[in-house]
Amino acid sequence: MSDGNLTLKETFLRGIWKENPVAYQVLGICSALAVTVQMKTAIVMGLALTVVTGMSNLIISLLRKKIPSTIRIIVELTVIASLVIVIDQVLQAFLYDISKQLSVFVGLIITNCIVLGRAEAFALANPPLPALLDGLGNGLGYGLILVAVAFVRELLGAGKFVGISVVPQAWMDAGYAHMGLMVLAPGAFFIIGLLVWLKNSLPGASHEEKTGQ
Amino acid sequence: MSEPEKSEQSKRIHAIKFAAILSVVCCLLITGASTGLKSFQQANRTLDRQKNILRAAGIVTLDAKPSREKIQSLFLEKIHEVEVDATGDFMEAGQGKGLSLYLYKDGQTLKAYVIPVESRGLWGKIKGYMALKADGQTVAGFTVYSHSETPGLGGEIEKAWFQKNFIGKKIFNAANEFVSVSIAKGGVEALPQASRDNYVDGISGATLTGKYLTQGLKKNLEQYEAVSVRLRNSKGIADE
Repeated sequence: MSDGNLTLKETFLRGIWKENPVAYQVLGICSALAVTVQMKTAIVMGLALTVVTGMSNLIISLLRKKIPSTIRIIVELTVIASLVIVIDQVLQAFLYDISKQLSVFVGLIITNCIVLGRAEAFALANPPLPALLDGLGNGLGYGLILVAVAFVRELLGAGKFVGISVVPQAWMDAGYAHMGLMVLAPGAFFIIGLLVWLKNSLPGASHEEKTGQ
Repeated sequence: MSEPEKSEQSKRIHAIKFAAILSVVCCLLITGASTGLKSFQQANRTLDRQKNILRAAGIVTLDAKPSREKIQSLFLEKIHEVEVDATGDFMEAGQGKGLSLYLYKDGQTLKAYVIPVESRGLWGKIKGYMALKADGQTVAGFTVYSHSETPGLGGEIEKAWFQKNFIGKKIFNAANEFVSVSIAKGGVEALPQASRDNYVDGISGATLTGKYLTQGLKKNLEQYEAVSVRLRNSKGIADE
């Protein structure tokens, strides 16, 4: 309830930037490494997670007075798991190729700490509207980092931007080579590490300032 | 004195009730989504298989992304599904008596034949297609449309870089014996010149996937050996 004095706008924006789930809370790193080879999969994954966190926060917040505290984690997981399965089914029906590329990672949204974390930390103690915004904000914050990482990895690793080649042929002829490291998981580690550092060294977003708030 | 006990009990009943209702609601939701969307998913899977047959046969390239209409029209035009018996004779498809086979014909000439491949993998079944050219020994292409291997390791079998290496390989060795195509442990360059035509580069970190897929390919190709031998001896093929 300590978040009671936040405005709705702040609730929404906090997850996107200041308390970004990947860069500040360092959650959801596993999937951030896995699906960021291409922009397309990163965007879909970000949107899928945004829908799941938003909806799960909304549902859990609506039920928050009814949920028995003894079984609340199981209840939260059941809600999240059901949502993820439904989304997986929708992707298989309408975005089959992307669903194949995301393979196991859609299913792994269930175990993504961001979703359960927001449900536990925010939705259980706040009314539906702020909870929904908090979920959406955190989902978008996660998506933002994913897209940023994927942008660098796809550009340097494959010379592409959302699947379109952007490196001119003249460069390739002159001996330009794609950076193979970027396509592999270590490349994602480096980029995420650099992003976290960059974000936290910007004014108004550092760890120290936050804790002093 | 019975007050706190009662509330303790009612709390428990409430928890059980809540859990039961939640389970039923979630069940209905998931069942609804999976049955409601089944026809769309089925259509996608069929289309995906058709695309993989076209890719294996080399009608579209491995990394091409043809549209839905293009896949359907190409498939109708160029691919003929038949069944093949133990002696290598073709029969009408859909009788369930023989093995399923897809023929790629340009007009009346046979260009390639596509064999469905179903192999054991490390974590589950690997399903795909292997196309052989009309000479009965040269691989025209190999694709995978379903597997449960580890992404980044064994999962690389679905990637174009891996599948590309199969093109032009031979399923018979220099001594004219059937050997199938195997996945090497490491690069093909390490092997003696004579057997390079029967191997493709392996995937690092996926030795077992390679081993099982090698066995699976051999088993599947063996079943169709009658067809391959016939074509190799160019006795011609009975028109279906």
